Amino acid sequence: MDRWVHPAIFYFIGALLLPFFKGKAKKGFILLIPLLSIIDVALMHEGIFGTYEFLNVSVTFGRVDKLSLVFAWVFTIMAFLGALYALHVKEDGHHIAGFFYVGSSLGALFSGDYLSLFIFWEIMAFSSVFLVWYRKKKRSIDAGFRYLLMHIFGGLCFLAGMMFYYYKTGGLAFERILPEGAGLAEYLILAGFSLNAAVLPLHAWLPDAYPEATVEGAVFMCAFTTKTAVYVLARGFPGFEILAILGTAMTVYGVFYAVIENDMRRVLAYHIISQVGYMVAGVGIGTEMAVNGACAHAFAHILYKALLFMGAGAVLYMTGTAKLSKLGGLYKYMPLTMICYVVGAVSISGFPLFSGFVSKSMVVASAHESGRIGLLLFMNLAGIGTFLSVGLKVTYFAFFSKEPAIEVKEPPKNMLWSMGLTSALCFIIGIYPQSLYALLPYPVHYHPYTLSHLAETLQILSFTGLVFFLLVGKLAPEDKINLDVDYFYRKGTWLFMKFDEKVISVVDAIWGELYRTLGLSFLFKNAEISNTIDRKVIDGIVDGSATTVRGIGSIVKRLQTGRIQAYIGFSLFIFFIILWIFLGRT
Amino acid sequence: MKIVHYIEFLRSNIKTLRNTLIAYLVVLVLYDILLHLVEHGHYFIDNIPAFWTIFGIVGCFLLIKVAKGIAHIFLSKDVDYYG
Repeated sequence: MDRWVHPAIFYFIGALLLPFFKGKAKKGFILLIPLLSIIDVALMHEGIFGTYEFLNVSVTFGRVDKLSLVFAWVFTIMAFLGALYALHVKEDGHHIAGFFYVGSSLGALFSGDYLSLFIFWEIMAFSSVFLVWYRKKKRSIDAGFRYLLMHIFGGLCFLAGMMFYYYKTGGLAFERILPEGAGLAEYLILAGFSLNAAVLPLHAWLPDAYPEATVEGAVFMCAFTTKTAVYVLARGFPGFEILAILGTAMTVYGVFYAVIENDMRRVLAYHIISQVGYMVAGVGIGTEMAVNGACAHAFAHILYKALLFMGAGAVLYMTGTAKLSKLGGLYKYMPLTMICYVVGAVSISGFPLFSGFVSKSMVVASAHESGRIGLLLFMNLAGIGTFLSVGLKVTYFAFFSKEPAIEVKEPPKNMLWSMGLTSALCFIIGIYPQSLYALLPYPVHYHPYTLSHLAETLQILSFTGLVFFLLVGKLAPEDKINLDVDYFYRKGTWLFMKFDEKVISVVDAIWGELYRTLGLSFLFKNAEISNTIDRKVIDGIVDGSATTVRGIGSIVKRLQTGRIQAYIGFSLFIFFIILWIFLGRT
Repeated sequence: MKIVHYIEFLRSNIKTLRNTLIAYLVVLVLYDILLHLVEHGHYFIDNIPAFWTIFGIVGCFLLIKVAKGIAHIFLSKDVDYYG
């Protein structure tokens, strides 16, 4: 096929047409759109498509190569599974937000320049936030706003970096950046990308927002935002040492919180940080094998993490809570959900025969191969924590431990089908890794099923299991929340409001009083004197210019709309004009 | 559901299950020690028999103790902490 059709188009048009369908036709339409995009990706050839000149910048919408294709495959497959899982959702807006979200992630994948990437990047943030807001609870609305503000911050870092980059290189092509030549521009872009990848310390939006999203929305969210970020990091920043270190730190940081968290979906959200850590570390190590590992792990991770969120979502949907302290004994009522969840759990833990075993180990082995033993040990420590918290703790306290408190049923059929299909994919990748390796950007010379790798993995996992059962009493979930770095902006705002209430308003009141008593009498006296001077001297001069001033005044009046967003938008506009002028001169 | 019956069967034979798992752990360690007699690696961690057994036990123990400890010292707050 010589003509290239952007897969995002299906989603954008689908989102607009969706409200016109009713009943069964609507359900069919929701599944048809991802299917069409999968076929589109299957028919794609490598090449550069859709290049336009825009404002003296060349914009490319279709850079198709092995790196973008492997992500496009898993994104479209995931979109289908997610749509199937969300089929029972009544609100059109929820599906439309999902479509815009998937479409814009696909747009970001195929972008060949920073400008189009930035536009899709922003659509992603603004569409995904609705998947949080549709939960319609106060906690979700608040978490959604924090999510949006953090992403706007990340977007502005990216935008500023992009502008500096333009003045440095004269173009906006999105190519690989070498660590030696990187300056302020590149690091600002890196910061913007890192925020979406939840790299420490820019990660707190993720465990804050995802557990507050709708049951179905969380399944979408866990797949696209962080993995688009992994893709752009793999494209632009392989070999950046800081990513290798921060990525490894993420792997351990995530499991640390997962061990103490009580909310099932928050445990899983912290595990996104941990698993994305492996990918970021892989990108940071930067060898062909490591970047392959990062892509393979992103592929496998999207599927098993979605599966885990589907399982936890099904529990939340049927029981009304995801708190481990309130759950227990669900194996009696939801055995199918439990099996699917366990498949996800053994996949993420990297059990032989399941997807995590063949993907995570590529990153770990690349650390081994490049002699990064420190990184390797921390990654394996995170592997212990992964099995401990997702595999053992959540499974035990949600599906076993005490007797069931509430009698529930299995979730709706579409949810079960979606979980079943995803489980099958996790298993197929595990037993037939070549199917995944064939899609990777570089040729693969790695074999996961060796005697020593099996011995290493089984020892780590089995003895983790042993310690878990010895210390299970210590791990009993508590109905608490745990502080993370979002403390600083959440308490910070609260402190500012208190400061405003207690200090600023008091000073304001005193000042007002002072002005009324002292200032006014002074002004009256002053006015009398000025009045005399005014009448005698100035009248004549001023009369002429008064008309001009009145003219300007009316313009200013129109600008003062009193809307805070207009002011912020206007300030940003002015800021960038000043930046433009300033950089244009030097 | 068949699955529920299987799980209940295992739960009622918990002692046998436990002994089987312990036997499995012993076999696993022996297997790794034997493997080290024939295979040699490049780095020190590759050449210590049963290294990952020790790593698994110590790592898991430390992770639970440190995480729970720090949580109890200052990370854990009541659910309505942020209002």
